[in-house]
Amino acid sequence: MKIKSFFTLSALTMSAATYAQETTSSTPLQISGAADVYYKYDFSGKPNIGTSFANDQNSVSIGMIDLALKKTTGKASFVGELSFGPRGQSGSLPTGEALNGDNSFHIQNLYMSYAFTGKLSVTAGYMSTFIGYEVIVPTGNFNYSTSYLFTNGPFQNAGIRANYVFSPKIALMVGLFNDWNVYKDVNGVTHFGAQLTLVPVDGWTAYLNVLSGRAAGAVGTGSIYDLTTFYQLSNKIKIGLNAADYTVANHGGGHSGAALYLQNSFTPNFALGLRGEYFKIKDVPDLKGSSVTSVTLSGNLKAGGLTFIPEVRFDNGSTARFVDHNLDPTKNASQFSLAAVYAF
Amino acid sequence: MLFKWSIILTIHRFRWAGVLLVLLITSFKLKSQSLKTEQGLQKDEQGKYIHYEVVENRAPGDSLMNRAVTFFSLKKLDVKQSVDGLLKGTGKLIISKTAFVLTHPSGEIRYNWLFETKKGKYRFWLTDFLFIPYQRDRYGNFVPSTTRGIALETNPGKLNSGEWSSCVNETGRQSAALAAEFKEYLSASQKAKPFHEPDRPVSTRSW
Repeated sequence: MKIKSFFTLSALTMSAATYAQETTSSTPLQISGAADVYYKYDFSGKPNIGTSFANDQNSVSIGMIDLALKKTTGKASFVGELSFGPRGQSGSLPTGEALNGDNSFHIQNLYMSYAFTGKLSVTAGYMSTFIGYEVIVPTGNFNYSTSYLFTNGPFQNAGIRANYVFSPKIALMVGLFNDWNVYKDVNGVTHFGAQLTLVPVDGWTAYLNVLSGRAAGAVGTGSIYDLTTFYQLSNKIKIGLNAADYTVANHGGGHSGAALYLQNSFTPNFALGLRGEYFKIKDVPDLKGSSVTSVTLSGNLKAGGLTFIPEVRFDNGSTARFVDHNLDPTKNASQFSLAAVYAF
Repeated sequence: MLFKWSIILTIHRFRWAGVLLVLLITSFKLKSQSLKTEQGLQKDEQGKYIHYEVVENRAPGDSLMNRAVTFFSLKKLDVKQSVDGLLKGTGKLIISKTAFVLTHPSGEIRYNWLFETKKGKYRFWLTDFLFIPYQRDRYGNFVPSTTRGIALETNPGKLNSGEWSSCVNETGRQSAALAAEFKEYLSASQKAKPFHEPDRPVSTRSW
């Protein structure tokens, strides 16, 4: 089935490329992608830190292969991004509609966009979320393991949204969305979302995000408020911050937290980055919330399209949420991982 | 015996094919080397990459300056004209990564374009090249990964030298193409073109 999908994709690609040569008002079909593999070892000998993706203990494992297509014709454009592998399927995507419920549509992004003017565009489809600092495709992250804020936030938001660029320093997006991470919504388009983009000075960008709505089966309306910002201090130093608060009304719980990112490029080929995070699960009736603090140190060694990411991570919980080598509960966990990520 | 003879014949044919292939590769290599030399950027006194040209032209200086300002505007450069008659524009070139059917922008080159006139001639130069690498964002679009550019003269190290040299070559090629277009635009032989040529319907009555 997957081979068939690849052949179909190849045929589409070839026909689209041929079409591109014949159409003068369109840009060529853009094809890009990424692939990743990793090895992880938790020092307790047990898989402990449960953030997204890099979870296999003492194993050389695959992440995903990701293929993205983009085509623009006049004012209209489309993006289709497919992913295959644990990171791009069970790790980040909902299942499809088969009766057994374990299939996947492989879709990370599938949307169309129309630019009515140079400032106003409307986009509709299934899109990566606008919330948060980190993303699913590993080429978009400095650290290989992900933050708790990323894992507990939305991954995708299907919907329709309008983007308006007031000036190079201010832009606003507003939209109506499905529930988090679903291809189709069973209780209607119930979520409202907005993103205010600010560029106060050259090199500093801040996104103020909100997403609110009542998901199917939820006890109340869930609202997430998110600040994602980064500042390129110099050619070598970059600082990033992500802070979020998520609350579900009627004592439905939620989470809050903040992550600070510091990165320094020592040479064009080598950079080190430190991520410090505090994350708290909110109380719900009869269950007190807990928190965790995490520090992750990652290197990025680049050779052409290939990036090696050696990484060490230390997590400390307010409660004994991890296990040691005897499977006894403990507050601490630490791991080493080595990932190879290729972008093309 | 017949079988052996056919093998010899086949080897003979392939030998000629091999010779042809070697000739083809050699001529292709020579051609690409000569292209690189023609289109490569030079370095100035400060060791910075530059595309520099002096062109003889008898047109009045103010006319040339006006044409240059129009050309910069058409190419969407940010134009700054200094008091001493030096025109400065800031623009960008898109560098794309292409292999077989794979193509996407890999970065942009920001540059300064300077222009000035003298009696009977003008000169212009493209310099201060800064590379801004692109990164695919969460929506599948290629966007600048940083706001601070890397000078094109920077030593990329052994690991990235291949990609870097192709980026320098592409900058040279695009600079040369822009320069040729610019000289054509400023040349005295250029005919004035209307901005919008009216569409005339085909007449089928008189023939």
